[in-house]
Amino acid sequence: MPGGFCNLFTVQKSFRLQYDVFFLISYYYPRRLTYLFQIKVMNRLYEYIQRFAVVTQQEFEQLNLLLETRRYDKKVTLTQKGQVENYLYMVDNGLLRKYFYKGKHEMITQIAKEGDMVCSSVSFLSQEPSEYVVETLEASTLFALSYGNMQKLYSMGHRMERLGRLIILDWLLQKEIWDYDRIRQEPRERFKLFMRENNDLVQRVPQKYLASYLNMKPETFSRYKHFLKY
Amino acid sequence: MNEAVLHKHYFQNLYNYFRRFVNMSGEEFDQLIPYFEIRKFDKKSKLVKIGEVDLYFNIIMKGLIRKYIMVKKKEVTIQLSTEGHMIHSEISFNLQQPSDCIVEAIESTSVLSISYANLQMIYEKFPDTERLGRLIITDMFIKKDFRDLDQLKKTTRERFLEYMQNHPNMLQRVPQKYLASYLNIKPETFSRLKHLLQVKRTPTP
Repeated sequence: MPGGFCNLFTVQKSFRLQYDVFFLISYYYPRRLTYLFQIKVMNRLYEYIQRFAVVTQQEFEQLNLLLETRRYDKKVTLTQKGQVENYLYMVDNGLLRKYFYKGKHEMITQIAKEGDMVCSSVSFLSQEPSEYVVETLEASTLFALSYGNMQKLYSMGHRMERLGRLIILDWLLQKEIWDYDRIRQEPRERFKLFMRENNDLVQRVPQKYLASYLNMKPETFSRYKHFLKY
Repeated sequence: MNEAVLHKHYFQNLYNYFRRFVNMSGEEFDQLIPYFEIRKFDKKSKLVKIGEVDLYFNIIMKGLIRKYIMVKKKEVTIQLSTEGHMIHSEISFNLQQPSDCIVEAIESTSVLSISYANLQMIYEKFPDTERLGRLIITDMFIKKDFRDLDQLKKTTRERFLEYMQNHPNMLQRVPQKYLASYLNIKPETFSRLKHLLQVKRTPTP
C-alpha cells in the first residue's frame, strides 16, 4: 500500500487538517498544491479504481494527466447512435442516461449518477458505431478518458493492463447479474428493489425514464408507486 | 487419431485462438501449456451444479455445453456453446463463490480448462498475459451485449431466423426445448417457426 498517498485521502476527512497539510506542502513544495486540489476532485475516481487494484501515487498521477474534465448542460447528447464512442466517462457531478431504440421507443439500460462510469461501452471498446445514445439528464461534470489515452495507459505496462482487465471483468459480471435479474424478477419485485437502492433517483429522474429502465409501462410504474405508500 | 495427436491438436487450437488477440511466440505459449488440463465429460453430465464453486474456465474442443439457471422450477438456458467457445459460471468462477447456474454437457464433450488458481498464477508469472486476459474478457463483454440487444430489440421471428442462419447445425445438435429457451421463444412458437426453414431448403442432387 503506498502509505503517503493514502494518508492524503484520510486527511481530507477533516477540513482543518486538510488545510494544514495544504499549507505545509505549499510552503515547501508550491507546485504540489495544485496537485492536491486535483486529488480532491479526483477522489471519486480514486475510490473507484482502488476497488480493483492498488495504484501508486505515480500511476494515479499519470492517469490524472490523461483525463479531461468536461462540463455539459442538461439534455445534451454525448454519443449519438451510429457514432463511434471516443470517451469513457466517470460522473463527478450530475446524471446521465444511456438508451437504445427499439423501433421508435427509447429503452434505457443505464442511469448513471455520481461515481458511476458511463459510455457506450461496446462502441468504446470495439471502436465500432454505437447502438446506444448517451445523454445528460442534468447539467453534469465528467472526467473523460479518450480511447487514445486509454491505449497510452495500457502501453505503460502490465499494471495498467491489469487494472483494465479487472474493470472490464467487473462490467462483464454486472451484465451477467443484470441478465439473471431481468429473467428472474417479477416487475413488482424489480420495482421494489430499485426503489430501495435508488431512492434518491426518484426525485431526480423523470418517471417515464425510470419506468423504461425497469422495463415496464409508465402506468404500471405509477400503480406500483401507489402501493409503496401504504 | 490417437490421444497424443489429438491433444496436440487441441493446444494448437488454443494457440491460434490466443493469437487472434495478441502476438505470442510458440515458446511463450509452450510455457502456458502445463497450466491447462484436458477434461472429458459424458453426455448430460454436469460441470458445475448450483451451490458449487466453479473452479474452471473452459474452452470447448469437441462437443456442446449449455449453461442454465432455474427460475422457480423452470430451466432457462442462458448459453449454448460449441467448439472454440468458452463456457464457465462467470460470477462463481471469478468471485470464487457458489454458483447460481448449472453448466451441463449436451453431447459427450472435451474441454481445455484452466483452474482459477492456475489462471492467477499465470497472470503473476507471465505479466504479458494480462493483456491477453483483458482482450478476451473484452470480447466476451461485447458478445454478451450483442446478445442482450438481440433479446431486447428483435422480434421472435428475427431472433429465430438469424440464429438458425448463423448456427445451421444447432437444430440437429440441440434439443428443441433448449434452443427455444435460449432464444426466449415458447416451444409451440418455435415449432411453428421451424416451417420457415423447411420452405427454404434446397433439394440435394
